[in-house]
Amino acid sequence: MLLPSVLASSSFVEVRPGLIFWTIVTFILVLVVLRAKAWGPILQLVEEREKQISNAIESAKRERAEAEKLLADQKTAIAEARREAAEMMRRNQADMEKFRDELMAKSRKEAEELKAGARREIEEQKSKAIAEVRSMAVDLSMEVAGKLLNERMDDSKHRALAEQFVQSLPVQGARKSA
Amino acid sequence: MRKAMVLFACLFAGAVQASEHESEGHEPAGHEAPAGGHEAAGKEDVAGYILHHVADSNEYEFEVPLSSEEHVIHLPRLLIPFHEGACAPVASEHGEVTPGLGAGCLDLSITKHTVMMWLAAVLLIGSLMLWSNRDKSKLVPRGAGANLFEMLVLFVRDELAIKNIGKEEGPKYTPYLLTAFFFILFMNLLGLFPWMATATGNIAVTCGLAVCTFVVTQIAGIRAAGLGGYLKHLTGGVAPWLWPIMIPVEVLGLFTKPFALTIRLFANMLAGHIVIFFLLGLIFMLAHPAVALVSVPFAFGIYLLELFVAFVQAYVFTMLSALFIGMGVAMGHHHDDHGHEGDHGHGHKEDGHAHDHGKAHA
Repeated sequence: MLLPSVLASSSFVEVRPGLIFWTIVTFILVLVVLRAKAWGPILQLVEEREKQISNAIESAKRERAEAEKLLADQKTAIAEARREAAEMMRRNQADMEKFRDELMAKSRKEAEELKAGARREIEEQKSKAIAEVRSMAVDLSMEVAGKLLNERMDDSKHRALAEQFVQSLPVQGARKSA
Repeated sequence: MRKAMVLFACLFAGAVQASEHESEGHEPAGHEAPAGGHEAAGKEDVAGYILHHVADSNEYEFEVPLSSEEHVIHLPRLLIPFHEGACAPVASEHGEVTPGLGAGCLDLSITKHTVMMWLAAVLLIGSLMLWSNRDKSKLVPRGAGANLFEMLVLFVRDELAIKNIGKEEGPKYTPYLLTAFFFILFMNLLGLFPWMATATGNIAVTCGLAVCTFVVTQIAGIRAAGLGGYLKHLTGGVAPWLWPIMIPVEVLGLFTKPFALTIRLFANMLAGHIVIFFLLGLIFMLAHPAVALVSVPFAFGIYLLELFVAFVQAYVFTMLSALFIGMGVAMGHHHDDHGHEGDHGHGHKEDGHAHDHGKAHA
């Protein structure tokens, strides 16, 4: 309505060359001042920081890779050591087992031998003792018989008779040894 | 939020009601730069007042809130006549005016918008000195101010300069783009404070800024392609008999870019302010305090939108500047590629990207 007429008469669409001049001058001044005092230092700091951060990231990555490699090495070394230890243990155990078995067998054999020796000795002694007892019994019986018959019997004849008698005696131990 | 807006509206409605009892009503103070007190005089005065407020002037007028006192500071006038008597005021239909440049008079007067621009520049330099992290010993910024500035600086460098211009050339133009971004941002934001005016809402200021971008763009093109390449680019790379058509088109193309920058920033900054003023002016145009219940929350909403637009327009101006510089830089790469193809694989990819951008925005 009345706006167009007001617009036409108003001064805000007017371009003042003086203001353009001042704008450019101000802008250049601000640019120079800020470039020297603010943008330069700020951008430099930012770049510095970015460089530091990227360096830090880089080195962290590198160190991490290194650490991972070391860790892997350590792991394989540990596994190796463990495997070796297990192997050794197993071998030791087997050795021990064998040694024990050997020892056991040897000792058993020795004991067996000892036992057999003892038994043989016992048998020997026993048969010897039995023979002695027998001869003593013959002598004794002969003496008893001689005394009983008042020496009426011929010595050798009687003796054979007595021996025959003893022979017919039921002797348990002698029969077992035979 | 809604409660706060209702509260706001009631407050201002009350203020308007109270002021109506006085012989001369005046604008609800404090919300947006208050000045002048001609509203009661009529509907036409609202429009006139608004346009007077957003337009440049040789005086700085301000008003003490809640009083009808108005102070006027006359700013110094600098007139440089090119010949004797060229700057003598001449009578015209709007009263006495000083003759323009055509009549041989260069008007370098300090105006309201010049003062605002300087204020913005001083505030910008001051706040950057105060809050930027310039201590070499610590690389990480401390405090909200330093972090905010660094965030914006990094945004301009990474998202605008490097993305549009390229990784090699981008950092060279970063200081220019940073200055443009912050300078425009501060001028835009300054206009949102009471008693202040928006320098970027003046077409001469945006024109001056666009001229700077234009010069930088051309320098970037000449530096990248050489003067010969630059001039060759102006012919559009077509057969000589087409040159009479191509050269005017290309030259026109050179000037439309800064022209678009000028108008975009100017219109955006001006429009928001006019809308706020008209919303508040509705109260006086409709001459009823109840209008304030609607128009003040609306004006508040537009004010918040303006806050956003202040950032967006600074970003857009800087982004387009970066784009134009990128196109100038790409011109050089493009030219080089004709000479020795193959060993510019990386550069080729980069300039292809910049060209696509250029077409999208043309």
